[in-house]
Amino acid sequence: MELATAFSGLRRPRDIRTRLTLWYVVVLAGFLCLYAIGTGVLLYLDLYTQLARHTIEDIETVEGLLFFTTDGVLHFRDDYHNHPESKHVQERYLEVLSPDGRILFRNDRLGNLTLGGAVFAREGIGGYSERSDRLADGTRVVLVSRRHSMDKRAVVIRLAYSVEPIWSQLRSLLLAFVMALPLALAGAGVAGLVMARRALAPLAQITRQAEQITPENLHERLPVENPGDELGQLAEVFNRTLDRLEKAFEQMRRFASDASHELRTPLTVMWSVGEISLRRPGTREEYRETIGSMLEEVNRLTRLVENLLMLSRQDAGQIELQQQPVKLLALARDCAAMLDVLAEEKSQQLLIAGDEAAVVMADGLVLRQAIMNVLHNGIKFAPAGTEVEVRAWQESGGVWLRVSDQGPGIPEEHRDKIFDRFYRVDPARSNRNGGNGLGLSIARWAVEANGGTLRLETSRESGCSFVFEFPAEE
Amino acid sequence: MRILVVEHEPKVAAALRAGLEAEHCAVQVAAIGEEGFYLANTERFDLILLDMMLPGRDGVEILTHMRRQGVQTPAILVTARDAVDDRVRGLDSGADDYLVKPFAFSELLARMRALLRRGRQELPASVRIGDLEVDTGARVATRGNIALELTPREFDLLEYLARHRGRVVSREMLARDIWNETARHTPLDNVIDVHIARLRRKIDEPFAKKLLQTVRGVGFMLRE
Repeated sequence: MELATAFSGLRRPRDIRTRLTLWYVVVLAGFLCLYAIGTGVLLYLDLYTQLARHTIEDIETVEGLLFFTTDGVLHFRDDYHNHPESKHVQERYLEVLSPDGRILFRNDRLGNLTLGGAVFAREGIGGYSERSDRLADGTRVVLVSRRHSMDKRAVVIRLAYSVEPIWSQLRSLLLAFVMALPLALAGAGVAGLVMARRALAPLAQITRQAEQITPENLHERLPVENPGDELGQLAEVFNRTLDRLEKAFEQMRRFASDASHELRTPLTVMWSVGEISLRRPGTREEYRETIGSMLEEVNRLTRLVENLLMLSRQDAGQIELQQQPVKLLALARDCAAMLDVLAEEKSQQLLIAGDEAAVVMADGLVLRQAIMNVLHNGIKFAPAGTEVEVRAWQESGGVWLRVSDQGPGIPEEHRDKIFDRFYRVDPARSNRNGGNGLGLSIARWAVEANGGTLRLETSRESGCSFVFEFPAEE
Repeated sequence: MRILVVEHEPKVAAALRAGLEAEHCAVQVAAIGEEGFYLANTERFDLILLDMMLPGRDGVEILTHMRRQGVQTPAILVTARDAVDDRVRGLDSGADDYLVKPFAFSELLARMRALLRRGRQELPASVRIGDLEVDTGARVATRGNIALELTPREFDLLEYLARHRGRVVSREMLARDIWNETARHTPLDNVIDVHIARLRRKIDEPFAKKLLQTVRGVGFMLRE
């Protein structure tokens, strides 16, 4: 079992460290082999060339030592050696032929072997014919021929030296290489493994730490040892991801707790209204009243759930926008036409003014909802008899829409929270007429989804003023 | 009228049965998909009310299969899922209408009526409720020979209520059919309330007999 795991592990090591080292060793082995082959070839060529040159030089010597006796027999003078036994260490192979292929002389070393076979055309004429050959006994030689004229007779001198010493030299070189290779590779492998382990150590730490991250300790961060290198960057990216995750998680947690709180209110009403009505027998009318009251809460719950669903779709980016040019002022007028009755009830005046040509690229329906929510807010919170103004304008930098009322405004400490979900300036003013606390956050999403921003103008002394801003179209 | 209700949740099924029987329908309830499919294939119904999420084969599967078998009974899909994809999937499977849970029963009745009426329009030129007369052609409303001064929107509202006289009209129906809004939202709810209050002031306040009634938690109704 363990062997099998080890074997499969051998096939494809799981950790980067081993893989890296293996690659390293394989590549190194490849390079070493190439290097050895290259060296061997170069060395061989070099030695061979040297031997060939030596052979040519030797022909010059041999030429001077050949002579014909009067009976026409060719002889080789080998009495030039200082020591007679030296002629036995001579390694040259020598054969002299007449141009028509008759053998005139063979030296002792050659014995009765032939050197190079039949004479070919123009062999040795006007230079040295050099070639590789193999004797009948298998000895590889470098063979040089030379046409020579003696006593007005042309002869072909063939002289050869064995290249076997070169090969044996190469063989011992190869042997040394083969013996040294595993040692070199093992050394490189161990060094590579150690280095890879050291380089990847922070990664192992990141892994350990990341494994321990749960919703409970999202605030923990990885230590960044060297922000400059790749692993430091990885740790930083990881930390930034954690930042975002923590924020999103916090938002979600708050959202869930807010939402359940909001859901609790209508549930409490339904529970108590229903239970109390059942405590004692009532009239038909009383029961109708009770059920009606419960149905109202059901309605409220339904609306809340719809809104929550919409928010979650917004968060998930599941709402597809159909953007086209939208005239801001016309859209505002459309909203005002619908909400006008609400203003009338409070003797408020809705003023719509500005640049008719102010156009933005947006999903009209979504943007309309945003304007509607903000305008409704203004009507709701401004006192009776005042004005709510909607103004649209455009400049080179963008397109704006401002909804301002003459209401009490928003106290300093609430200003940056009014766009938060379920946030109400006056917590007591919940469900009944204060809506569900989602209007502005839905509006802000709607504007931002269409590439704009929605903010509260804080410079104003009194009243409340919301500004929609859209970048200019290119 | 025979109606098949395929609904898994027993409380919802019981409520639908009670409500529909009160409207003089014969109701057959199936709790699981296979049973619904069997009934739809073997018996004749005038309308099928089909829950989309059922254990086993879901509503869409059943409907697709049914349509393939040539069963042409009008069907309304009921579901708690209202993503656009779900709607498209539902309508593609051969549903005639699509209703998202939770829904008002009056909404269901209105949809059913619309579905069964489809093809044969019966729009009377004028509707009478007691001494209130709504002339839809001339767009004039009178009560007891006194002409009522209504804004166009108020007349639309009155005409709609008159067409549904004796039946509850929910806010959803008003939002969709009078204001042409795709979704109900808080501002619109307030707007509807104001318009209803104004309409009531004009058609009911000067008279002893009140016709426009608020059914608390459900909607509004014009009734003698």
